[in-house]
Amino acid sequence: MQASWRSLFMNDLDEAVCAKCKAEFESITGNTCLYCDASGEGVCADCMYWEQTEYAGLIAKGRCLYRYNEGMQSYFHQYKFLQDVILSEVFAKEMNHALAKVDAVIVPIPMNPKKLKERTFAQVDSLLESARLPFHHFLIKNEDVQGTKSKMERMASSPLFHWNGETVPKKIILVDDLYTTGTTMRHAAKVLKDAGADEIELFCLIRG
Amino acid sequence: MKELEDFLTGRVWLKEFTPFPQSEIDQAILQGFVTRIPGITDKQECSRCLEKSVNLTSFYCEKCEGDCLYCRHCLKMGRISSCTELITWTAPSPRPLKTHSFQWSGHLTPSQNLASQQVIESLQINRSHLIYAVCGAGKTEVLFAPLYEALKTGKRICIAAPRTDVVLELSPRIRAIFTDTVIHTLYGGSPAEAGFAEIVIATTHQLYRFQNAFDLMIVDEADAFPYSMDPALKRAVMKAKKHDAPVIYVSATPSVQLIKGTPGRSEIFRRYHGQPLPVPRFDSLWNYKKRLRKNSIPKKLETWIRLRLSRREPFLLFLPTIELIEESIPLFKQLDAAIEAVHSKDPNRKEKVMGLRQGIVPGLVTSTILERGITVPNVQVAVIGADEEIFDAAALIQISGRSGEGHRTFQMGMLSFSIMELLGKWIEPKIR
Ligand SMILES: [Zn+2]
Ligand SMILES: [Zn+2]
Ligand SMILES: [Zn+2]
Repeated sequence: MQASWRSLFMNDLDEAVCAKCKAEFESITGNTCLYCDASGEGVCADCMYWEQTEYAGLIAKGRCLYRYNEGMQSYFHQYKFLQDVILSEVFAKEMNHALAKVDAVIVPIPMNPKKLKERTFAQVDSLLESARLPFHHFLIKNEDVQGTKSKMERMASSPLFHWNGETVPKKIILVDDLYTTGTTMRHAAKVLKDAGADEIELFCLIRG
Repeated sequence: MKELEDFLTGRVWLKEFTPFPQSEIDQAILQGFVTRIPGITDKQECSRCLEKSVNLTSFYCEKCEGDCLYCRHCLKMGRISSCTELITWTAPSPRPLKTHSFQWSGHLTPSQNLASQQVIESLQINRSHLIYAVCGAGKTEVLFAPLYEALKTGKRICIAAPRTDVVLELSPRIRAIFTDTVIHTLYGGSPAEAGFAEIVIATTHQLYRFQNAFDLMIVDEADAFPYSMDPALKRAVMKAKKHDAPVIYVSATPSVQLIKGTPGRSEIFRRYHGQPLPVPRFDSLWNYKKRLRKNSIPKKLETWIRLRLSRREPFLLFLPTIELIEESIPLFKQLDAAIEAVHSKDPNRKEKVMGLRQGIVPGLVTSTILERGITVPNVQVAVIGADEEIFDAAALIQISGRSGEGHRTFQMGMLSFSIMELLGKWIEPKIR
């Protein structure tokens, strides 16, 4: 029997998660990478690689709130894949605390419009809405190009996003739910920088 | 198309998530073989688990482009929302009678035999029946003959049990007897099985996925958690069976409602191997929580465990909370490093229980969650804090049913206090 998220909420959906389940989440502390909050001293190997490509110098710094441990994995599975929309409330307080006073415009990583219709809700937007944080979209996610190339090759060659044409503010904080390879964030940052952003920071709920 | 019919007969399934190509389903819908059912009904109920609108969650849906309701109750089976559809086979074609084999050479005690005959009589007049039997009375064997009778007349049967481990224990026994029968075993994460099942052995949760399917419904451990706790599961039983299909309830501790509400009844109060249910020995164990938290095992309890270890008797030690188990397991491991704690979320649960059976693990420290799944010969049981709410009468009787099987000795007790109150808990269901 797995911990049931339903039982956390009972009938009072505004209630925060019970202390026991919250204790399973692991906050990120200690020495971490400047850009992506991977554990360890200095810049991590992945980010070191990015800083030698055309994506170098795009990002001022980055921050993630939690490690992707077992508890977080089951949370994320239920939220994103089982589409339990109400779970966007779980980290409302923490997200608000981390982002409310940031002096930059919050830009969520978007979903492809067609995919959004299929999946019925945008995970990142919902997290921000639950945290009562204002945000603005400047990016449009391109449709996944199907073909013979592997996913990695496709991501490297074709851009993941394009600019929506609206005037981009100077200071931006890009927000996503889960940081894994950094590809999504770097692609997004590049489009925004090219469209006129000066300073871009990253924020993710979870560091995979 | 035959495979689709076998799969969807009596079942409701999310349209997008069947194991069949979407084109085949679309064609079957077009031909009228398959009916579509809105995920959330006009009355704002979940079509799969029948959860009512007050418990459904609403959100702004990009697909509906407006308010949408979804059901959290049966979420793990794939989300049902206002914009999803379920499908079912419209009008199942009659199935020709087939021959079933019955490979059982065991014999019944007179009281088992009587119960078995009474169940068959109830089935002949389509009447629901309660088998009220203590643990170890051989309830399952009582069902074999009625199952065979029902199969011979072409009935589709469901055996529902509250938890996966009960289903897993039951399934091989039924399969070994009805060797020519198509039997499916369903629980969360069970592998897909082909064909039309004449017998479905399933956890009660899995019944959400059936509708108007069964001619005979058997509810095992009808008293057990979570069936008694969750009205949705009761509704699921009613929804999964055909309207006039009888239900056989099997219970060691039926509620008054179940006794009053079921027209047919058989009682078996003797244990299968002729021994009466062990009577617990009560003992006081003052301040056990404090002692355990202060890193010492109360003397009485230590003596009891050491005796089990020296006699090589497998034991189960029940503690009232998981927290207390976690805090105290290092202490028990000091007596014997092979003693293990086990709880319902434990991924190694099966291995540990097997270890107890095989004598590799001398004893398990656990809470109530496990007590129904375990049958270990000559197991000795101590319930610590038997006055705690979690060990209600039903649980205590179940626990005692697990002890002393195949052996004349048993141990039971180790309570903290309020013995009178506790005796009340024990005696009341026996008088009834
Ligand atoms: Zn990094
Ligand atoms: Zn439901
Ligand atoms: Zn919808």
